[in-house]
Amino acid sequence: MYTRSDSPAMTHDKKTRAHVPELLQQLGQPSAAGVDAVARHTGVPAADVFGVESFYSLLDQRDLKTRVCTGLSCRLAGAEDLLKACDKARLETAPTSCIAACDRPPAMLRERRVVCEVTTGDVLESQGSFEKLYSAAGSDWRGSIWPATADEGESLLNLAAAPNWSAAGYAKALEIGPEAVIQALEEAGLQGRGGAGFPAHIKWSAVRGEAEPVKYIVLNGDEAEPGTFKDREIMLRRPDLVLDGLAIAAHAVGAGEVWLYLRGEFEIPREIMERAVAAAEEEERYGDLAFHFHSGHGAYICGEETALLESLEGRRGMPRHKPPFPTAQGLWGKPTLIHNVETIALVPTILLRGAEFFRQAGKTQPGTKLYCLSGHVARPGVYEMPLGVSLDELVEAAGGYIGELKAFSPGGASSGFLPASERARPLDFQALAEVDSMLGSAGVVVLNEGVNMAWAAAEQLEFFERESCGQCAPCRIGTAYQRASLERFREDGDAQALEHVDNIAWEMIEGSICGLGQTASLPLTSALRHFPEDFVANSSGGAPQ
Amino acid sequence: MSAPDQILVDDQTLKFCPGETILDATRRAGCSLPTLCHDPRLEPVGACRSCLVEVKGQRRLMPACKTPASPGMQIETRNERVLRHQRVLLSLYLSDHVGDPSECEDGAPCELHALAKDLGNLPVLVPLQRKHKPRADRNPFIEFRSERCIACARCVRYCDEVEGVNAITLTGRGLHTTISTASGISLYDSTCELCGGCVDVCPTGAMAEKMPLSAGAAPERELEKVRTTCNYCGVGCQMDLNVDRAAAAGRGQVVKVTSPPAGTAPSDGNLCVKGRFAYDFIDHPDRLSTPLLRGADGNLHPASWEAALERTAAGLQEVAKKHGADALAFVSSARCTMEENYLVQKLSRAVFGTNNVHQCAAT
Repeated sequence: MYTRSDSPAMTHDKKTRAHVPELLQQLGQPSAAGVDAVARHTGVPAADVFGVESFYSLLDQRDLKTRVCTGLSCRLAGAEDLLKACDKARLETAPTSCIAACDRPPAMLRERRVVCEVTTGDVLESQGSFEKLYSAAGSDWRGSIWPATADEGESLLNLAAAPNWSAAGYAKALEIGPEAVIQALEEAGLQGRGGAGFPAHIKWSAVRGEAEPVKYIVLNGDEAEPGTFKDREIMLRRPDLVLDGLAIAAHAVGAGEVWLYLRGEFEIPREIMERAVAAAEEEERYGDLAFHFHSGHGAYICGEETALLESLEGRRGMPRHKPPFPTAQGLWGKPTLIHNVETIALVPTILLRGAEFFRQAGKTQPGTKLYCLSGHVARPGVYEMPLGVSLDELVEAAGGYIGELKAFSPGGASSGFLPASERARPLDFQALAEVDSMLGSAGVVVLNEGVNMAWAAAEQLEFFERESCGQCAPCRIGTAYQRASLERFREDGDAQALEHVDNIAWEMIEGSICGLGQTASLPLTSALRHFPEDFVANSSGGAPQ
Repeated sequence: MSAPDQILVDDQTLKFCPGETILDATRRAGCSLPTLCHDPRLEPVGACRSCLVEVKGQRRLMPACKTPASPGMQIETRNERVLRHQRVLLSLYLSDHVGDPSECEDGAPCELHALAKDLGNLPVLVPLQRKHKPRADRNPFIEFRSERCIACARCVRYCDEVEGVNAITLTGRGLHTTISTASGISLYDSTCELCGGCVDVCPTGAMAEKMPLSAGAAPERELEKVRTTCNYCGVGCQMDLNVDRAAAAGRGQVVKVTSPPAGTAPSDGNLCVKGRFAYDFIDHPDRLSTPLLRGADGNLHPASWEAALERTAAGLQEVAKKHGADALAFVSSARCTMEENYLVQKLSRAVFGTNNVHQCAAT
């Protein structure tokens, strides 16, 4: 496929390495010859190429099995029955981590194509053919949103409205200038929507203040926190807001290039974003600003900003140490502004409707928030509501609970579990941190009284073990150890099996390099704390009824 | 106001030089901080987490190997938090490692077990008991024993940053992270030069030598190390012959070659395939240990040095007399010292009068 003659190896610069994962993807199934070909083509040592290939689950698939999502929401919706049905239909399957379709569970994946709301009936009818399943389901991956109709009043992102290509936000940014843009973000109190809730303007000012002339904007569209699917919906419905936001950011911090990093399973969102970029470039809407795309290849950790940068550079997605922060040394060592899709999409609205309007839109903290609601609720989907609504308020908009509320996860697997008694607590960055949880990416998963929390925690621990990058021992061994401890408890009912859980959780918080290891024990420790009755010796810990 | 070149480590004031990390400064002062992934020849990565210390004003524990010392920094390396961290961390490592130190240290000493022993009072965790497939590689020198690997990547980084060879990589993810060549091929088929640096830098004996002499030898800590200069070429790398005094019926035997620690010799602990692995000639039965002279019967017979030198001189002089000095040529070995090579060209040019002299490392 690649020959020595077209090899850029002799002239290869660091950017050539960025193509390694993409070239491996094009070659299809992993092979030694493929690794060598990519090595020759890029000038990257073959061992390094192999190291990259073996890191990413979408590149390392040595079979063409269909994957069944075993995220918590998909499990609650019967992913296990689906696995059994696949067996019956002779459709070879393997489990996979959450694929951002929690609102339409259970979901399946083959290579990079996702099928939602698969029933055991669909599987049996497919007679072992994924193609049949895929064509029956269609490629429309949009889920339910709220407000469901266009609403210029309260809604800031207004997902139900048609894209607006006027680039009014960008025009406004050009008009008021970079300093005023950053000031508007500060006045608005915009906090990053990726999970940490860090004030956006501080990052913008830091990048703008760097003397280095080459700067980058990176869009973090590696939405992989179990229970989260809002960025998917933004890109499917409002690519205009994303592009506008990116162009404003580039203008404000002085960057000439934008990189959009989307998770590998987001082929459809990527197509939509690519079409939007092509149209913008055609009409030179954003001057000579250059947009580049980079797909992820199946690694949850790449949602962590420094792991994402490593991945974008074509390496194994292992997080970097901070400091230095990406604002000072990011992509290829240059000052880089990285933001979650939702954060970026909010920027044009802040400029157009004013900082005060944005502040007022929140309940306990500024702005609206896209809450991803799944699990035991009547209408799972993406809900744009004032930041700081309670679970009850959120679920009311979603048509109520299914069954009696027992527990919920307010911000994806990393936020652990909270008991029903916290149902009135504001779902915001601060109030949830007060109870050792977090808003994170606002992937709200609701569990009813039928769920055993030892079972629910086990799902999350398996996820973190599978997705640990392996760089540092507290996380690499700790995630496996916690999972094994809980497994022993669930098999033998012996509470002794859990005796080291707290000590190891403490070490994972203190010793892990990045947030994955620091939060990976939380599903178990929070379940132990709030639901001790599910961890009594010899309790069964079986699947929910 | 603290001095611009001082840090406070556990109430002790230490000086540091610009660019030094906390680890550099403490090591120079003779304080010991535990490390596993560190090697002074490599860029610090802070991956093993064993050198984490508490720095005043920082919420998180900081890796001493990667954190630059800055004026007035206040550091605690032995408080309750740091010690608890070290204990639980090491117990986690040991839950996924060969548990019995004597079994683990059949060859090189294991730095992990040494740290655990120094620290003491570790929580005893249930071993993870992972299954490891032995990996066969037809190269005769290096084997990888994955059950001992702690994924510190010293070997990978050494191969990249010092040797520039990039034969191996971290592979897989999570608990399955391990070391491999490209697509798992033999080191013979990779870019590997078999320098054995990976064996030298490995803290736990996961990268091990598989030469028959060393594989059958006593644990390394029971061997006597004799520092010498490698005589395979003129670079002059320092090396430690590991001698088993009891072997070979009490005559002693070199059963392994190791590098002096990095930073202690001009060659900085680096060796090549010859220096590190080609030592079995020492006691080899085919090795010449006395001059041999061909007798009238056509066979070679042991002789004294005097007899051998006399015969050689007579032969050379006869050729020069009969055919002229240029009928002679002198070729010396790269394994001779520079002084010896100098004398050979003196012999050639001044004694016999020919410029036909060469040495195999001259080109």
